[in-house]
Amino acid sequence: MICSQKALSIIHAGALQQVMEKCLEHFSKQNLGLKIKMKGVGSREGARRILSGEEYDIIALADQALFAELLVPDLVKNYFVFAADQIVIGYDCSSRGSKEITEENWFDVLLRPQVSFARSDHHLAPCGYRALMVWQLAEKFYDRPGLYSTMEAACIPYSIYPKSIDLASALFKGKIDYAFLYSSDAKLLGLPYITLPSKINLSNPAYANFYDQAVVSVESKIPGKAIIIHGKPIEFAIGLSKNSQYLELAQLFIDLLTGPEGSSILDDCGLIPC
Amino acid sequence: MNEEKISESELTISIERSIQAELLLLLGQRPSHGYELIQRLNEADFKSGEADAATVYRNLRRMDKDGMINSHWEVGESGPGRRLYKLTPQGGASLKVWAEYIAQQKATLENFLQAYLQLEESLPDREDEVNLT
Repeated sequence: MICSQKALSIIHAGALQQVMEKCLEHFSKQNLGLKIKMKGVGSREGARRILSGEEYDIIALADQALFAELLVPDLVKNYFVFAADQIVIGYDCSSRGSKEITEENWFDVLLRPQVSFARSDHHLAPCGYRALMVWQLAEKFYDRPGLYSTMEAACIPYSIYPKSIDLASALFKGKIDYAFLYSSDAKLLGLPYITLPSKINLSNPAYANFYDQAVVSVESKIPGKAIIIHGKPIEFAIGLSKNSQYLELAQLFIDLLTGPEGSSILDDCGLIPC
Repeated sequence: MNEEKISESELTISIERSIQAELLLLLGQRPSHGYELIQRLNEADFKSGEADAATVYRNLRRMDKDGMINSHWEVGESGPGRRLYKLTPQGGASLKVWAEYIAQQKATLENFLQAYLQLEESLPDREDEVNLT
């Protein structure tokens, strides 16, 4: 198919950067001459950009719940869950305490005075509020009253490294010892990481009721007002903008991502195709 | 009982393989998407261990490719669209073979326990014996 003049625009979660690049490579081969503009952002930020009038044909976010909260039904009709992931603690071989850290003692290591750790901005990126949820669930799971507030107080302010890519860069440069990331991020970056118990890492739908106990306050779509969101298993979703000028092409791109080729790409990028 | 097919099964069933049988059974009960299957599997009293999302989705894709199940995207009425999985006739036949194999294994294990209890009865009393009755 030759598509001159057309430019498909995609806004996607920063965590999907590699996935989108690989899909684009496949899609471009099937649609010679097609131009595609891609923008990677924090998913909450991305949904708010669309709400404020920015126009994109395809929207791929790191939290499927953002569609229902902010975009459906006015801006997106249908959306599809295509991948799952989990929160892990990424580090570097030079991170302090990295020789001793385990699934059982990670919070004790992170809370040592000389150790630094960070998370992304919960107002911009789901990875940020998911890290907070993990801390709340850890407080219950390990029976450590006060763990959440202690972690919050000890964490580097989220404004310093607001996105996952900032966290990864800080880890590589040795500016921080540990960061709360998606497993796929850590795998793609070649970072060692600690896997957390499935009861707190937001990976398993079997624990959806337990995850639901974690709550975080974030900025809502009404400026100046906050909304409470609950913990859920991590699921990425993709939707088609109702205002897309290229509905057919955009649907073909979604079909690629949600089909066998997309599954293979997601697998290669460390995500779990659903 | 299909002895030939059963004999092809390995004596030791890995958790990975037994999850396939469990998923076939759940899909035989009703079509489901992956998220729901993970929940149903973890609630089932026949589960062989904690089923994590990666293992379940990997096995669903494998069985879909092998023709044991098929899938299509279902648009969500009030939530997200998800891939819905259904058992195929081939999957139904495989489930039957699994059930036959498990019945054979159960009989073998019962025979083992029976033989052990007879042995236990024939031995002189010892304080450290495990009482299975």
